[in-house]
Amino acid sequence: MKKPKAIILRGTATNCDIETFNSFKYVGAEPELVHINQLLSGGRKVLDYDIMAFPGGFSYGDDISAGKIYAVKMRQLAGDFEKFIKGRRPVIGICNGFQILVKTGFLPENKANSQVSTLYTNDCGHFIAKWAKLKVNKNSPCIFTRGLPEEIELPIAHGEGKFIVEDKKELAAITDGNLHALTYCENPNGSMLDIAGVTNPAGTCFGLMPHPERNFFAWQNPDRPAAARETEAAGFQFFKNAVEYTR
Amino acid sequence: MNDTLSSFTSLPAKELEALDKAAGWSLNALELAEAQRQFKKMGRQPTRGELETIAQTWSEHCKHKTFSGPVVFKDGSKVKKYKNLFKETIVKATKTLNRKWCLSVFTDNAGIVEFGRGGKWGLAFKAETHNHPCAVEPYGGAETGVGGVIRDILGVGLGAKPVLNTDTFCFGRLDSKRKLPKNAHSPERIMRGVVEGVRDYGNRIGIPTAAGGLYFDEGYLLNPLVYVGCAGLIPVDKIAKKVIPGDLIVSIGGRTGRDGIHGATFSSANIDEDTSASAVQIGHAVNEKKALDVLMRARDLGLYSAVTDCGAGGFSSAIGELGSETGARVRLEKALLKDTRIEPWEIWVSESQERMILSVPKAKLKKLVAILEAESCEYCVMGEFPGDGRLLVTHGGEAVVDLPMAFLHGGVPNFEKPARRRKIKINAAPPARPSGKYGQILKELLAHPNVCSRHSVITQYDHEVQGGTVGKPLQGRYGDGPGDAAVIWPQAATLDQSDFSGFGVSHGFNPAIGKIDPYQMALHSIDEAVRNLLCAGADVSRTAILDNFCAASPKDPEVMGDLVQAAEGCLDGAIAYGAPFISGKDSFYNQSRDADGREYPIPLSLLISATAPVEDVRKALTINFKEAGNPVYLAGVSARGMGGSVYNELTDSGNNAVAALDMKAAVKLYAGLGKAIKAGCVAAAHDVSQGGLAVTLAEMAFSGGLGAELDLAPAAREKKLTATELLFGESPARLAVEVVKGKETEFLRLVKGLPVAEIGYVSEEPVLSVKDASERLFREDLAGLKACWRKELI
Amino acid sequence: MIIETWTKEKYAKNEEDGFVARMAHAGLKLERARVSRLYRVEGSFSRPDFDRLGKELLADSITEKYSLRPGANGFKGAWRVEVWLKDSVTDVVGESVKGAIADVLGKEPAVVRFGHAYYAACESEAKLKHAVVKTLVNEIVNKFKIEKI
Repeated sequence: MKKPKAIILRGTATNCDIETFNSFKYVGAEPELVHINQLLSGGRKVLDYDIMAFPGGFSYGDDISAGKIYAVKMRQLAGDFEKFIKGRRPVIGICNGFQILVKTGFLPENKANSQVSTLYTNDCGHFIAKWAKLKVNKNSPCIFTRGLPEEIELPIAHGEGKFIVEDKKELAAITDGNLHALTYCENPNGSMLDIAGVTNPAGTCFGLMPHPERNFFAWQNPDRPAAARETEAAGFQFFKNAVEYTR
Repeated sequence: MNDTLSSFTSLPAKELEALDKAAGWSLNALELAEAQRQFKKMGRQPTRGELETIAQTWSEHCKHKTFSGPVVFKDGSKVKKYKNLFKETIVKATKTLNRKWCLSVFTDNAGIVEFGRGGKWGLAFKAETHNHPCAVEPYGGAETGVGGVIRDILGVGLGAKPVLNTDTFCFGRLDSKRKLPKNAHSPERIMRGVVEGVRDYGNRIGIPTAAGGLYFDEGYLLNPLVYVGCAGLIPVDKIAKKVIPGDLIVSIGGRTGRDGIHGATFSSANIDEDTSASAVQIGHAVNEKKALDVLMRARDLGLYSAVTDCGAGGFSSAIGELGSETGARVRLEKALLKDTRIEPWEIWVSESQERMILSVPKAKLKKLVAILEAESCEYCVMGEFPGDGRLLVTHGGEAVVDLPMAFLHGGVPNFEKPARRRKIKINAAPPARPSGKYGQILKELLAHPNVCSRHSVITQYDHEVQGGTVGKPLQGRYGDGPGDAAVIWPQAATLDQSDFSGFGVSHGFNPAIGKIDPYQMALHSIDEAVRNLLCAGADVSRTAILDNFCAASPKDPEVMGDLVQAAEGCLDGAIAYGAPFISGKDSFYNQSRDADGREYPIPLSLLISATAPVEDVRKALTINFKEAGNPVYLAGVSARGMGGSVYNELTDSGNNAVAALDMKAAVKLYAGLGKAIKAGCVAAAHDVSQGGLAVTLAEMAFSGGLGAELDLAPAAREKKLTATELLFGESPARLAVEVVKGKETEFLRLVKGLPVAEIGYVSEEPVLSVKDASERLFREDLAGLKACWRKELI
Repeated sequence: MIIETWTKEKYAKNEEDGFVARMAHAGLKLERARVSRLYRVEGSFSRPDFDRLGKELLADSITEKYSLRPGANGFKGAWRVEVWLKDSVTDVVGESVKGAIADVLGKEPAVVRFGHAYYAACESEAKLKHAVVKTLVNEIVNKFKIEKI
């Protein structure tokens, strides 16, 4: 079977690119690390790929606000990205990647592609890295969370993860459409409705603050019960689903 | 200053000294005289740039002249002379052991040992201190400290990929009541700044900060210690580097500015009121990340023949070091600058951060530039390595330096330093019986700043970026138990998820023991580091270690005496444990004047950082109890003495004896336990250290949410050991292990003949109950113990 | 031109609490407090250009506001502490923003510096100054000024 091509988008200080690359490779995709400079110079085209991933990190230092500068750089190529997303090819934004998708206005999806929500400074006021229990919304159209149990564990690692939507209609669209595919069991950052991850209505474009690539294998878990060490873990499913969707 | 420079060779000693002070070189009288002699011989006056270069190259920071200088040690009537203390202790241990898995020791920016199977990879490891800058500007000091040690790893061989950062901090007590001098920051402010600096730099550059420690003692009130370490992976065929005559000198990463003048000499000078702003910098993690991304790509394509970092001394050290055989021709006007108001000599010695120097064959420059541009990384071509052994540095038409390389890298004159054993009164009488209950004492120990939870610091660091932190700083059922060692699975460097090879990193640090017995401090620290690795399931027979000494003024013979004894301990410990030193660093003059104008020195502080392979990361161990019904064993002999214990800090027991480490017994014990761990008999292991055995057991219990019913009666112990010593003493070479039920027979077979005793079992009920034969010592519920331990330090 | 951005009041509580707690460490009780971010942008840009930077780049469109006039956040009867890194100190954020401005306006500014403005209602300027020096700024790397608003 032909392997789906996954573009792992980088920029300066995109830090989780290699483990995201490894994860896609493990589930049978053909990943490629591509710097946004390569897109801007025309050396690579996003529409040549089947899957797109925005990994975690601190793109451009997360200066001004997290993901903002990367989002600004993407504007020149907005047409290509829009085509990719509207064409229902799978897109995942993890942590900084989610922040980028929010700040470009691709998530939550809206007609004008304008920013309708934000991921703001955590209530505690600083970066926090720990493991979080998450509820999986079984009614969500999200293709990435298919087949997961109702509750999973993933690590979070962010300073700006507080999900805020000001417009009531936009918020209703999220809850009515079950676009909040992942919610925190114990809210670590003050997100509205405990939201940890949001999808577009088609379920193909998904952004989440927690890191599935860091709980990809059972031995990455802080509490390793002897019996369950040598298996794949919850995070594996997110990547596997993306590849399966393309088939 | 120009007037004095033009008559440099004829200046009397007094004026030389005044010149040194005005210029901020920190050269001593011998060195100044040597510089004068050399220029007299050449028959000309030096330029400012030349004297700056000499000051940087000969500085304490670059040459470590105290530790590698001659010392005379007096211990009562006994006298021992060292020509080179460092070589005769630390290096001697490594040479004696001569391990074939040591790939590079003491020669490069970091030590390198073999990693994983198949001989494909090396593991580079290095630790540094950045103390003085952190005292002055904690945030920027910590950031640039982290950035500096990462560059050491980027600059080792042809560049290693950093996969782990470590940090160990020493601060004054947060509740200190002592009056601070006018310009000193409070320990709370220093800690906050340092933690935020490590956080912001480490997180932005995408390297997990996953091992280290926090230590509070009034001795660090005016001189905090900030140890930063980094480990990275390097392909074995990229370890050798050699500048080829004709190569271009290329600087990549950050720009050069006035912000970094005189950092190297600053680290040897006492901090006083007029510390210049330029000695302190703010880090730029994003620039360093760009350099990292460029280096890893260019290395694998073979686009340069050598690399090193710009650290202390800036271009002068980095280019001087790379060109020490070939010479170097440098055109300073080519440097990219932050600021145009900068003198040529300042460009040459500025320590502006985030710069790496590459030696690039002309034919490969184009390809390198393509990568630099693709990664938006700034660079400049500053000249070439000619091969004539001459260091010629110009700025336009102006000669800044014109010296033979041999002059700089030849012998530095050195004083012989007197050293003397400090007189400490030892009271070995049994400790006074405590007035309070043992359970209450345990709670107080758990709440002590040197024992309590570090989660409020650790969770600010992204300790899991790169997806390889298998052994976490916070572990167990609730993800909050105190791990003994980080276990790293470097998938982001090897790109191989089917290879489960990993490595552990741990530390040993016991300055409280050092105040009583510096020799035993070194032994205890090595033992603690090795034992921590064992608890994580590493193969400790392949341990490699780093030494990082921090001390007060070496002009004090007792400070030098402490150093000599600790260095001897390093030698003996390393040989006994078969653990060679692969790299090390030292920092002196960690003392300042207090509010009353008196000298306020730090205690001698030796951080041992250790690494050992973990054959299969999936089998790495954690500290928490796993399952009710599993038997619990105590390994090791509990010895007498409360010296250096946390208990003594809470309430002085009267006894300050330090238990001597039986190294041979410890090594045998660990070998047996190592086999049992490998055979899968062990479910959890945790070392006995700060706070003693009671703290160890409490941590294992509440990290797993499981209690234990324990009777210590069978545990091996020294005669006449009191209950206080058994529960709260910190004698070395002990660990508690939970054994898998059903595997006891195999376990006992593997540890046969060793001091390993069953002391009870893990229980479902969340209560820790401990007795000693007929004496009930304490019975405490886990929630209460954990509540005491889980303090918010920041 | 200095562009000031600040968090809308309903989202600013944590930021304010953090500032208040920090000042409390230095023994100063604040009655009310606010925090702003400052971007000093030097370059030949028009006022509409600066407006565009505030709107499209520097202020978050959901949670923040901006102004080209200092102290426009409506906080009155207090002191305003403006804190910058000294010009000789590397300004990491400033450098990033410089690049981002070029992405938005197609032209790189000559200089960008990043700073903060802290608004504090408290007993006296002298006590405020003491606390600022003790816990907020480090005069080795920072410069600051206090003014009554």
